[in-house]
Amino acid sequence: MEPTTFMLLLVALLFAILACGVWIAVALATLGFVALVASLPLPPGAILATAMWQQLNSWDLTALPMFILMGDILFRTKLSEDMFEGLTPWLARLPGRLLHVNVVGCTIFAAVSGSSAATCATIGRISLGELKKRGYSDVMAIGTLAGSGTIGLMIPPSIILIVYATATEQSVARLFIAGVIPGLMLTALFMGYVIVWALLNRHRMPPPEPVMPLRQRISKLRRLAPVVLLIVGVIGSIYAGFASATEAAAVGVFLALAISWRAGTLNLPTFRAALISATKTSCMIAFILAGAAFLTTSMGFTGIPRMLAEWIGSFGLSQAMLLLALTVFFIVMGCFLDGISLVVLTTSIIMPLVTAAGIDLIWFGIFIVLVVEMAQITPPVGFNLYVLQSLTGRDIFRLGLYTAPFFALMCLAALLLALFPDIALWLPRTMLE
Amino acid sequence: MRRALDLLYAAGLWLSALCILVIASLVGLQVVARIWDAILQALDLPRSGFVVLSLAEISGYLFAAASFLALAGTLKSGAHIRVTMLVNALPQRVRALIEAAALAFGALAAGFGTWAIGGYALESWRFGEVSPGLVQVPLVWPQAAMAAGAALLTIAFLDELTITVRTGRPSFRAAEDAVALGREG
Amino acid sequence: QSWDMPTPYPDATFHTVNIAQFADEVREATGGALDITVHSAGSLIKHPEIKRTVRSGVVPIGEVLISLHANENPIYGLDSVPFLATSYEDARRLYEAQRPALEEALSEEGLTLLFSVPWPPQGIYAGQEIDSIEALRGLRFRTYNPGTARIAELSGATPVQVEVADLPTAFATGRVEATITSPSTGVNSKFWDFVSHYHDTQAWLPRNMVVVNTAAFEALEPGVRAALLEAAAAAEARGWEMSQADTEAATKTLADNGIAIVVPSEGLSTGFQEIGAQIADEWAASAGEAGTAVLEAYRAN
Ligand code: NA
Ligand code: NA
Repeated sequence: MEPTTFMLLLVALLFAILACGVWIAVALATLGFVALVASLPLPPGAILATAMWQQLNSWDLTALPMFILMGDILFRTKLSEDMFEGLTPWLARLPGRLLHVNVVGCTIFAAVSGSSAATCATIGRISLGELKKRGYSDVMAIGTLAGSGTIGLMIPPSIILIVYATATEQSVARLFIAGVIPGLMLTALFMGYVIVWALLNRHRMPPPEPVMPLRQRISKLRRLAPVVLLIVGVIGSIYAGFASATEAAAVGVFLALAISWRAGTLNLPTFRAALISATKTSCMIAFILAGAAFLTTSMGFTGIPRMLAEWIGSFGLSQAMLLLALTVFFIVMGCFLDGISLVVLTTSIIMPLVTAAGIDLIWFGIFIVLVVEMAQITPPVGFNLYVLQSLTGRDIFRLGLYTAPFFALMCLAALLLALFPDIALWLPRTMLE
Repeated sequence: MRRALDLLYAAGLWLSALCILVIASLVGLQVVARIWDAILQALDLPRSGFVVLSLAEISGYLFAAASFLALAGTLKSGAHIRVTMLVNALPQRVRALIEAAALAFGALAAGFGTWAIGGYALESWRFGEVSPGLVQVPLVWPQAAMAAGAALLTIAFLDELTITVRTGRPSFRAAEDAVALGREG
Repeated sequence: QSWDMPTPYPDATFHTVNIAQFADEVREATGGALDITVHSAGSLIKHPEIKRTVRSGVVPIGEVLISLHANENPIYGLDSVPFLATSYEDARRLYEAQRPALEEALSEEGLTLLFSVPWPPQGIYAGQEIDSIEALRGLRFRTYNPGTARIAELSGATPVQVEVADLPTAFATGRVEATITSPSTGVNSKFWDFVSHYHDTQAWLPRNMVVVNTAAFEALEPGVRAALLEAAAAAEARGWEMSQADTEAATKTLADNGIAIVVPSEGLSTGFQEIGAQIADEWAASAGEAGTAVLEAYRAN
């Protein structure tokens, strides 16, 4: 069968299973099973077990339940309310007001978390309820969260940059530094969008808070102390050499416990509730990761992603056209495969093309991360959407609509990055050479 | 029967939570040791050099075990996500039928997973596979935990299937709908 | 016939380059009858699972670092016993002495050894010069397997565990102060971004091996099987040369990028020799009679 026909059939099957209300993890694994059995005489059971085991027994992934647990403990304190109370008077004149908390919160959290789903889950747990309570638009609250959650992949530390560095033998340090400005550019773009949206949609914003005198505003800053302590503690533990980026997540749990204890909300029932809730959320994500891992490994065996990448290579495209083709390839495939796996599966084919076209590999790493970020928010396979569905109960397809403007902004960011490569390359050049 | 099953799911969930707590504690211990060493060093005393051996490997195994042990409990509380948009738009009769089919399919898939992962664990046991690091962890332990979790999930799917056949809706539909109304936050 | 071949290291690593050429040669020699697709960098199967995946026949062929499985059978750990074989000639002799026992261990798992190629000799990277064993005392030394852990223990260094990907941050923040690995790894991960000294201790030459599932191997047509073996022999010879060339090139690249290449001092060498002798004896004790015989065969040569 033609690979493209085969892919289309698989996609149709995926939509059909999903429509019947089959769990997403089960649907992805089923797709892996069908892809394998239909094309190769290999034992699907052994491959399923190998794929799920090698995916889940992972040190990097342990940061996920830690961050989720941290968020769940904080959710049961007054931390979010305090934070929003402290920030409200300062943001009163900025169009979009507290919606910026999602964007800025995710950007700050990105400096701790290397994963997009963890960023989304933690910040969402803290902010979504408060924003809703204060009358902000759900569409914007969810959209900003889904979009800015992906910044976790761009600003160091970043799991995908490590994966890319290892596969292409680039320096992790350089890639990390290269990700900083593009990450901040995304933050700026998202905040800009929030401002424009708020100006155009005044009727959908909650009524303005009264403007407070400066002294009162400053005294309200005290309520930000726990948040500041948490951020400084977690980031500080990395830079002081007390914890690796993965270990910092556990530091977050202990700091959250300390905050909760200080606030008097820590007792056995709340701790138990937080722990069980975090266990379930982490299990939900891990289950989908396991299903997606089986699909990815099956795809590796069928060779379809490689074939498609080779097909793109066969045209001998110019630099700009190659980038465009690869972007489209990653966006389309990113709807159905998890972005990081996609990079892993196709590096061997794509890197020679990219090198031959004279593209800088550090720059391309940042570009790839941006494209993978887009894959995080496109249904039906997009991990930020899964996290948000579990937080808000909205369907991933509707969430995909909410996040569409942010997807467009990321496309704009990719264009800017292509037009001005120095957005990524200036900082590493200045710092390391 | 009902109580026995619920106890089983709860046991899986709590074992999973325990794994997560153990990861947090091991990492916490390591971080505290580093802080302690920094204090010793600042006082010009020799560092303790305490390390939690094979922390990364053991934590990875605990995470794999934790992820699967909680599967059944997570299903029963309606926290595994799926697309219910279309199912919800259907008349109750058809909806019950499709729900039952989805659950039966889930049981089939989870049963296959149990068999596959169980076989994988068995092979690790037969060949005495151990982790490559300093602490030699027999790989059959975390893998058997995963197989047990998958088996629990199979039971939970079958459990919900019988409930749906009897009552027309899975028991977690209420929880799923509560989330869907955005009540939880 | 088409074979999927998982390998652990990235495309630019000389091991992978060698294997890609091996696959090409097999394809050519068999007129396309055996078509090997190389899945590098753990993209299909991750490193720890490669051996068992070949064993179970899910993939017919694969590459692994032999000492990754040292915990399963001591014979898999012989090439990473420190300061036992410290030059290419020694490593070659050690391989010859080890080969029968290695093949036997593999055959118990239903695996056949095709060829084995060493990494460049292992040296110590640090932020300062280390001129004696005493200088290692209390130093945060990265350990990642029982062998490196034992070096740390016997030299009084503080063992720390750091993932490869975490090394830059760990060095920058002081969680690790010294690590032992090859010049190639130092170049691939651009170690000059965070360390200043490379001590050319030539501690040991760890080897990768390419193994094939015996059943799949025996199911091949005799002609194809012969072609596979011939390409394997060629790849082994080529791999050893590439490894030596890579040692020189990588050491030069390190120097060009400002890392001080340190020839180990007399004191450091003697100290390591003593440590090495002890670890070798411990290895022989753990490996039983067969292991002792291998070690004696190597030392007698
Ligand atoms: Na990050
Ligand atoms: Na997607």
